[in-house]
Amino acid sequence: MSPAPVSLPSTPLPLAGLRVIDMATVIAAPFCATLLGEFGADVIKLEHPDGGDALRRFGTPSVRGDTLTWLSEGRNKRSITLELRTPEGAEVFKKLVAEADVVCENFRTGTLEKWGLGWEVLRQINPRLVMLRVTGYGQTGPYADRPGFARVAHAVGGIAYLAGMPKGTPVTPGSTTLGDYMTGLFGCLGVLMALKHRDATGEGQYVDAALYESVFRCTEELAPAFAMYGLVRERAGSSHNDFAVPHGHFATKDSKWVALSCATDMLFGRLCQAMGRPELAHTSTYGEQRTRLEHRHEVNEIVRDWCLSLNREELLARCYATDTPAGPLNNIADIFGDRQFHARRNLLVFDAPDSGEQVVVPAPVPRLSETPGSIRSLGPKLGEHTDEILREIIGLDDDAIANLRAKKAIA
Amino acid sequence: MPLAGVRVVDVGNFLAGPFAATLLAEFGAEVIKVEHPIGGDPMRRFGTATERPDATLAWLSESRNKRSVTIDLLQPEGAELFMRLLEKSDVLVENFRPGTFESWGLTWDAIRARNPKLVMLRVTGYGQTGPYRRRSGFAHIAQAFGGLNYLAGFPGETPVLPGTVPLGDYIASLFGSIGVMVALRHAERTGRGQVIDVGIYETVFRVLEEIAAAYGLHGTVREREGSGSFVACPHGHFKTANDKWIAIACTTDKMFERLAQAMGEPELASASKWGDQRKRLAARDEVNRTVTAWVGSMERNEVLQKCLDAEVPVGKVNSIADIFADEHFAARDDLARMPAYGLGEVVVPNVIPKLSATPGRITNLGPTLGNATAEVLQDLLGMQAEDLQRLRQQRIV
Repeated sequence: MSPAPVSLPSTPLPLAGLRVIDMATVIAAPFCATLLGEFGADVIKLEHPDGGDALRRFGTPSVRGDTLTWLSEGRNKRSITLELRTPEGAEVFKKLVAEADVVCENFRTGTLEKWGLGWEVLRQINPRLVMLRVTGYGQTGPYADRPGFARVAHAVGGIAYLAGMPKGTPVTPGSTTLGDYMTGLFGCLGVLMALKHRDATGEGQYVDAALYESVFRCTEELAPAFAMYGLVRERAGSSHNDFAVPHGHFATKDSKWVALSCATDMLFGRLCQAMGRPELAHTSTYGEQRTRLEHRHEVNEIVRDWCLSLNREELLARCYATDTPAGPLNNIADIFGDRQFHARRNLLVFDAPDSGEQVVVPAPVPRLSETPGSIRSLGPKLGEHTDEILREIIGLDDDAIANLRAKKAIA
Repeated sequence: MPLAGVRVVDVGNFLAGPFAATLLAEFGAEVIKVEHPIGGDPMRRFGTATERPDATLAWLSESRNKRSVTIDLLQPEGAELFMRLLEKSDVLVENFRPGTFESWGLTWDAIRARNPKLVMLRVTGYGQTGPYRRRSGFAHIAQAFGGLNYLAGFPGETPVLPGTVPLGDYIASLFGSIGVMVALRHAERTGRGQVIDVGIYETVFRVLEEIAAAYGLHGTVREREGSGSFVACPHGHFKTANDKWIAIACTTDKMFERLAQAMGEPELASASKWGDQRKRLAARDEVNRTVTAWVGSMERNEVLQKCLDAEVPVGKVNSIADIFADEHFAARDDLARMPAYGLGEVVVPNVIPKLSATPGRITNLGPTLGNATAEVLQDLLGMQAEDLQRLRQQRIV
């Protein structure tokens, strides 16, 4: 199966008319702008003239000289270069801010202030402005000045400690940039709420998002269980059996992996049906969660042996037939071959600008029935829209633009 | 509060979807949790038990700011009552398997006819469409299906759980809440509501960087990378002399130069040695061995301080005990102490993100089952006391 070609919906874009300045780098704060852009906001990617956003160099190189990550996550953005440390560049920035609804930034705390472009200055220019500020540790507190990357945020926020084999080396929780994306999501939600408040009252504000907090917020009852009972959760390996058995990853005969999750007795009963061993679900055997938790090793062993006796496809077919919660641990090759991904058009293919490379990217989510998001373009070239933006938004003429170029305020 | 005046009906179970309602509630939305009269949301029994039979710690934390109303939707009169509630609401959150809600007469067309402005968030494992839509999908399964779980663990070894179990529920709910905010904006301007269709698996897949593009172009199948990273080195978890762990992330050459300074071996960052990311990736085993030996020669606090002094991106791999002892978590007020009915104080993660003018807040932890049934039915729907009495007798509420 091949990824779906792009067809743009004719429905309205719900954020049309919003202007967002994305002056941030890599993934966290820029992903907020990406989400807003998918739903129709005009996103202006403001970059340093010398190389621009580091995301252009993060990941697999494209023919054009940037990377596949950039092409995908820079979607729908227009790029302008600006050297904020020249007086002319700062002046242009202020004029853009006056015409914007949202600014996304992720400099180390104090950097914008040092350039005379901090929140207090920007809100004077535009009292209706909403500003997303993303850093590793937030704008306040004793670690506010430390450099922060998602890797470190996973560690500080408490999920790296939980990923890995018991007593083994803690591993990356799936993806090194997970915390960046999660912070982009929390940040985007904050921006949308702040815009709602702004629309109602005229008052702008800033959103202070910290990478470590986004991760920590998603640790269910880790904090209350420690506070109440002193429980320190440890790495659970491939099966998390504090509350439910079986619940984890199991290898199949063809050396692939499946996930099984029997959160309730009813679901375990279905698994036993799938295994052809309904007697295991009797109350006298392993029918009750309590018994299964007590005998987790025996139960896990029975399930493990059964999984190893079948190829993945057949095993899953049996689980689906009895409605047992089960699924494959898909790698990206599995995903490209999967009917559900294709039916939901989760993979979209674009001809990359300039090179014609076939670039497959994840489609926008969530899907809205009346006003779905869309991808109108992939990541732009550095400064591709500099002149266009300066003319259109702040009304500069050719001479003024040439002057900025001569002063090295733009590239 | 930016969402004051927004009324949300949350009829979901567990976290995928209900967490979106929680986020809205933290910023002022009025969230009415509609539950089955017998037992309510199974989330009440999922996780670490408390002295209250209707509340685990997970329930208390994640059902914050909600009020509980019991309605049996399987009874026609219950479904009609629910419809009347929707007429007075702005958002509906549900996460039943596709077809379930419809089987109670609660189709989108019927709902929309009663309230054209309503925004409906539907979260399921696989979404409302496609061949797998009716499969049961818990976060764990959907995360695996979306490609995240395959990537956690050491190369060639057993894939492990990527941190917390319901990570996919949280991620799906975050996307869902953004969808709700966007749709509310559209509804305010046009009077038209809509459905937001979220498959947990596709929200997880959405955050996996470029793995689709790299496979599509080059056939590259990303594999588990253990505690490290394929794109940068050293970038991973290292054990200290006192058997604790730290994370180091030298994403750029400059960061490695700082680490080499901290190690007292600046020559490691010379152009002829490992100054260049490509050289470090080519020699990653040797680089990692060198860093492992250095980190392992000191206790955690000492090695952290050396890294911090040199501005190396570094952090403790915190357990929850470490988090409770951390001065930054304390300074940012990340741990909120809240009274829970019958249980004294419960500590939960505080509201994020932090908004400067209209911060969110926690007003109460997970409610007891049906704590607001009478209030909502009488005040909001104008029901008489004797009607309520009858509904109770018939076990509709």
